[in-house]
Amino acid sequence: MHQHFELVGRLRVWQNIMLGREPRKGMLVDVDRARSRVAELAERNGLAIDPDALVEELPIGVQQRVELLRELEREPSVLLLDEPTAALAPAEIATLFATVVELAKRGTAILVVTHKLQEVIDYTTRVSVMRHGKIVARYLTTETSTDEIARAMVGGELPHVAQREATGTQACLSVRDLTAGVDTTTVSDLSFEVSAGEIVGIAGVEGNGQTALADAIAGMIPYAGAIELDGSADALKHRENIGIVPQDRHHEGLVLNWSIVENAILGRQNLPGIRKGALTDWNAARADAEAIIERFDVRAASPDVPVRTLSGGNQQKLLVGRALLGDPRFVLAYQPTRGIDVGAAALVQSRLIEARNRGCAILLISFELDEILALADRVLVMFRGKITGSFSGAEIDRGKIGRLMAGLT
Amino acid sequence: MSAGVSLMLTLLFLTLIKSVPIVYAALGGVISERAGVVNIGLEGMMTAGAFSAVVFTNLTGSPIIGLIAGIFFGAVLGFVLGFAATFFKVDQIVAGVGINLVALGGAAYGLVLIFNQPGASPQVTQLGPGQLLPQITTGETAMIVLGLLCAFGLNWFIYRTPWGLRIQACGENPRAVTDAGLNPLRLRLYSVIASGALAGLGGAFLSICEVNLYSDQMTAGRGFIALAAVIFGRWTPWGATGAAVFFGFFEALQYVLQGRISWLPSDAMQALPYLAALFAIAGLVGRVRAPAADGVPY
Repeated sequence: MHQHFELVGRLRVWQNIMLGREPRKGMLVDVDRARSRVAELAERNGLAIDPDALVEELPIGVQQRVELLRELEREPSVLLLDEPTAALAPAEIATLFATVVELAKRGTAILVVTHKLQEVIDYTTRVSVMRHGKIVARYLTTETSTDEIARAMVGGELPHVAQREATGTQACLSVRDLTAGVDTTTVSDLSFEVSAGEIVGIAGVEGNGQTALADAIAGMIPYAGAIELDGSADALKHRENIGIVPQDRHHEGLVLNWSIVENAILGRQNLPGIRKGALTDWNAARADAEAIIERFDVRAASPDVPVRTLSGGNQQKLLVGRALLGDPRFVLAYQPTRGIDVGAAALVQSRLIEARNRGCAILLISFELDEILALADRVLVMFRGKITGSFSGAEIDRGKIGRLMAGLT
Repeated sequence: MSAGVSLMLTLLFLTLIKSVPIVYAALGGVISERAGVVNIGLEGMMTAGAFSAVVFTNLTGSPIIGLIAGIFFGAVLGFVLGFAATFFKVDQIVAGVGINLVALGGAAYGLVLIFNQPGASPQVTQLGPGQLLPQITTGETAMIVLGLLCAFGLNWFIYRTPWGLRIQACGENPRAVTDAGLNPLRLRLYSVIASGALAGLGGAFLSICEVNLYSDQMTAGRGFIALAAVIFGRWTPWGATGAAVFFGFFEALQYVLQGRISWLPSDAMQALPYLAALFAIAGLVGRVRAPAADGVPY
């Protein structure tokens, strides 16, 4: 089962599950038998599903069920799950693993690839830790802990995450009645503020409008409503004021064939320090690149190598480093630790907290509740393009947030 | 019979005749695009069909063999496009445009090479009554009936059979097809071959059924109109058929109006079907959704 679903959105659930193994009646698909086969399969595995639903109209969690059923239809003796919970709300994660554990009891060998250590501890029997393409440690789950696994993943002690300090409460970014986006990823009538020296976390399952929100703030899509920085919509257009960590480093963040130096000034090329008249000051660009490499521990042979040659974690550190360069007033961090190892993630998180301590306003959008809980001073829950909950300080409650993320109240 | 009624009947009959080649090509476009390959080469495949039909009818004296040759050579170009677009991952648009140029140039050259006369081929035996269907039906009527059967068959194939389901999946998300243990590239290749065969048949109608010779550039953009019909018909067999008849109507109208409206130059009138296609598609922008993986190499 893939991390990103391989489903056909415009086909029905039974068509997706039976694709390639359609029961036949002469030359035709035997629709009745296909549907009853799917219903029976769902029943047997305790996964409620409507065989006739269109897949694209189903919530992500239910689509995951379809994906799982599709694999189960083949009655596999080995089931490989790649980051199966990446797109699920906490309640859905529990349901999924309940099914998976049940399968294991009935004799299926199950291999789960995940970077969520708590899932490993909660549901598995044995753990192998991979680092740089090699297995570096093996444990029995009952004899290990998240800390031990994390240490094996980084190959040493975890870097210390920076302490947060008291900061002011002056509103920096304010969003009022924001409506933006198309089709499945929209936000409507969204209003919130991020103060200077505050990290506001947007919690939510992927696909609930986070991308529309981020794109609107970044000025990439048209929107209705107001987005202001220090009370002015224009201030948001000045690049020195904002730093953006886009969600997808390959499509939006970096030009993979360009060097670190070139990528370090991408989007900042017109700032006074970088541009000299009609020309680019490459010495300044190089200094910026070196500053990022130094502060973010970007491992590269030289600042001139193409970004393509860096590992995903180093690319991500470059991306966050660029966003934080020059102490912007506001930083939008969309999945800032996406797909990077725990060591690099801790470094990125530390730098974000340090920026906050210096008075930067940070909007953190993440699909990982753990990251939000670790970083945010205030948590807003997004569901279907609306903010359905707001928690700060001691009110922050994992259970409540999890339920709101799944659309429950 | 009054002149008005007779005019209406002429228009109706001409609409059917003018629709036939577009219907075939549009059905070809549907199967290809449902599998995820945009077939810009429909025009060239029609040209190949039209030209080879004349060559083989001339050679054998049998327009039925001509039709079969048209289908075959359309399918050959379909194979070329399909192979380039799947296993070689060539840009589908570029490959399709290449097919169009090769077919057009090849036919023009073939006229000189085979018939030793540029511009048009000599006259050949036309598809007559009773050759495709029983005696009472003319060649044209038989081709109309066959076209409707093709639309019916394709609809049945896409929505009712396992292969149709797989082709749909292939155009939406080929990775899902791979996951199901099937080869999406092969499915796409077969679909584009079928697409070429249908377009070739449409082309053959133009040369050995509607008239009795091949003349240079006789497809006159009908392959592109068929592409518009695919979109206008929302990638469904019956939708595309309906859209093809709609565009055929404007082509027929253009013939009927010529000579009747003196103030409009005939060139402007000839642009009618193309304008209809343009406005029809422009009106649909943003309101129709192509198969998700349409045009995306896998």
